[in-house]
Amino acid sequence: MTDTQWPRFYVFKQDSPDFPHLNCGSVHASDGEMALLNARDVFVRRPDCVSLWVAPASRVAEVTVEGLAALESPATSGQEQDYEVFTKSASKGQHARVGKVVANSPADALRKASEAFNSDSWVWMVVPSAVIVASPEDEGPAWFEAAHDRPFRHQSFYRTERLIREIKAGQHDPPGDD
Amino acid sequence: MKADLKPDLASYLLAMADDEMILAHRNSEWTGHAPILEEDIAFTNLAVDEMGHAGLWYRLHADLADEDPETYPDRLVFFREAPFFRNIQMVELLRGDWAFSMLRQYLFDVAESVWLPDLASSSYQPLAETASKIAREEMYHLRHTQAWIRRLGRGTPESHRRLSQALDEIWPYALQLFVPQPAEEELAAEGLVPLKSAARETWLAKVEADFKASDLALPDGGEPPTTDRRAHSEHLVGLLTEMQSVARAYPGVSW
Repeated sequence: MTDTQWPRFYVFKQDSPDFPHLNCGSVHASDGEMALLNARDVFVRRPDCVSLWVAPASRVAEVTVEGLAALESPATSGQEQDYEVFTKSASKGQHARVGKVVANSPADALRKASEAFNSDSWVWMVVPSAVIVASPEDEGPAWFEAAHDRPFRHQSFYRTERLIREIKAGQHDPPGDD
Repeated sequence: MKADLKPDLASYLLAMADDEMILAHRNSEWTGHAPILEEDIAFTNLAVDEMGHAGLWYRLHADLADEDPETYPDRLVFFREAPFFRNIQMVELLRGDWAFSMLRQYLFDVAESVWLPDLASSSYQPLAETASKIAREEMYHLRHTQAWIRRLGRGTPESHRRLSQALDEIWPYALQLFVPQPAEEELAAEGLVPLKSAARETWLAKVEADFKASDLALPDGGEPPTTDRRAHSEHLVGLLTEMQSVARAYPGVSW
């Protein structure tokens, strides 16, 4: 049987320039560009956002404090590249970006991340910088501004639910109804 | 604005509002039925945006028609009969398959991307302000539909076949977008609206560039099925019956 499910992408959202990118969830998409578009629709319809990143889930590596010792030993060779590092310091909450490391494998990146950013984190996540697809910096308005001036209304703003109950109770008979 | 142009500008805005409203309703039929959850959300958002834009145009229309901008839009949408709608026929066609709906929305988005910047510099300030607000959202719509057209065009033999078939069906209808509206030249001469005939060339060039990236050929020529916005296909009546049913069943209640 063919797997018709599209690959999953992690989504990282930055709410303001003073805050780090936070992992807010994931979307399915055929590729990075579509993932970014989907992420915008799923996660940035209403709230503030200045930058959005997506990365294929298959390229995201993660380790907890308990798992550090079991990390495979670093490869002796391998192309060095930048990894974005995210950590989490509470069981609830989101992975927040803390910085970058240069490493030659995901395991190497996790080890270096755990050494460089160890204050109170208990889980580290690394993503090769090169696989991240980011919202274009020069197109901020098109991506996010529209969401700012759109009013957000809670369900309770509308009378619909009460009205439906009244209609069902026969309080608003339609014209022509006996 | 010259007072005698007011009714013409009002009609022009009603036509734009009706295009967005009917397209939005057709696209909303995908809610719960899109090929994947994320796209269900995205396409529904897009339909809601278009409905919001229709609301803005209806309000401007109401202002010019000396009607109440709060209540008149609902009357126009829910209590008008088909012959009084001024939308082009393309937007009332049945939703078809995913390629059909996506291509229709794409062709509409490109057209809007062409004339919204011009409308944003209209000499009628309320129109200029509304257009510039809408233009920001439309940039994003276009990016979304463009991405889909490229993927359907270059995806699988089936997606390409479906997209080509949709193009054959939609193309003549899309050309109605550029049929001049009554008194358009007078309105344009006052700097109120751009000329649709000029927009057509820019639209064609943009569409052709995207089609190249999607392995699609630009159809040769073609004529719209009608040049009269009062004429509709048989599909509009069915759409209105559904769209208006609740408002008409319980007139006077406030939702």
